[in-house]
Amino acid sequence: MRAFVVAVAMAVVLAVAASFVLGESQRFAYQAFATSGARVSNPGTNLVGPRWTGDIKEPGAGHKADAPGS
Amino acid sequence: MRRRLTHIAHMTLLAAALAVAAPALAQVRAPDGAPDPTASSVNEDLLFRQAPKIGGRISIPNQTAANLIQPQGREWRSFHESWMPWIGALAVLGMLGALGVFYFTRGRIRLEHSEESGRKILRFNAFERFAHWMTATCFIVLALTGLNYIFGKRLLMPLIGPDAFAALAQWGKYAHVYLAWPFMLGVLFMLVLWIKDNIPGKIDWIWLKQGGGFLGDAHPSAARFNAGQKMVFWMVVGFGLLMSATGLMMLFPFAATDINGMQVMQVVHSLIGVVFIAGILAHIYIGTLGMEGAYDAMGSGEVDLAWARAHHDLWVEKEQAKTASGPQLGRGQVPAE
Repeated sequence: MRAFVVAVAMAVVLAVAASFVLGESQRFAYQAFATSGARVSNPGTNLVGPRWTGDIKEPGAGHKADAPGS
Repeated sequence: MRRRLTHIAHMTLLAAALAVAAPALAQVRAPDGAPDPTASSVNEDLLFRQAPKIGGRISIPNQTAANLIQPQGREWRSFHESWMPWIGALAVLGMLGALGVFYFTRGRIRLEHSEESGRKILRFNAFERFAHWMTATCFIVLALTGLNYIFGKRLLMPLIGPDAFAALAQWGKYAHVYLAWPFMLGVLFMLVLWIKDNIPGKIDWIWLKQGGGFLGDAHPSAARFNAGQKMVFWMVVGFGLLMSATGLMMLFPFAATDINGMQVMQVVHSLIGVVFIAGILAHIYIGTLGMEGAYDAMGSGEVDLAWARAHHDLWVEKEQAKTASGPQLGRGQVPAE
């Protein structure tokens, strides 16, 4: 039983570690697809937000797009 | 001279007549008889016959985004959406059905008692059990989340609704991608731990010819692993490595292959995946419900000596010979005078 518990715990630890390591190789869309000739919107001013969650407040709260009609 | 002028006049008239008549001759008509002026224009079929894929020019760094249409993608989608669910269902449900039939016809393989019953022998040490369970628990999550890619939207979404299914599928995708790493490590651990006991030999052929003890009451001789267990081992190692390779190709898009290559990887990954799941279902059955006493090997690590003698007689003899010769000396140790 102890081997099973340790195995499950180790699997979770390794999975979490993998998530951090793999996350390091990821870039946000506005970083990956922007050049000096093409700009893919500033963080916080697009419709989906920098994390593609719909939350446009982070991290570019100061650049937040104006609300429609304002 | 006059004759020459007449000839030129005739040729000019012929050319003028052809110029007037040609558009009418070339005009293609629609099925209803009306002229169809776009019939000879470039269409999709014609484009696909000219090039394997259609791309454009873009200014963003991601050049793969320039690919607009790739016809092979339609074949992949057709396979993924129409063939794959049937193949997956056939493999998984077919194996479950076969195991059900086996259980109700052959029944559970019972533990045969002898004078050695009640005594225990260590079959798998703590690290072996750790490697097995780490791989096994990851496999179960990988299998369920992998099947969700094929069957989730068909079976689960109608039950729990699109919002709950979207959240579940997203977390399932995270689990699939991240638990793949301890799974790969576990496969490597098991390869190193057990390869020496899984080399096929003549005794395995005899075991197979006698039906492995499944078809009758006889127990063919076997060393630490019998031929059936060796097949499971090589299936796990072979399929595990193939699933790892194809999975890594998809986990790092365009690192080693193009979009077409990744679609091929996905097809290989999914086909091996469902066969792998079917094979492991059989392994789980025989390790738990199918054979009394078998689970202890991976549960506590110790099995009943009578069970071990019946199913792995050569291994028991070898282990007992080690014990009979006394504790093994470590490096640098010398026997007492």
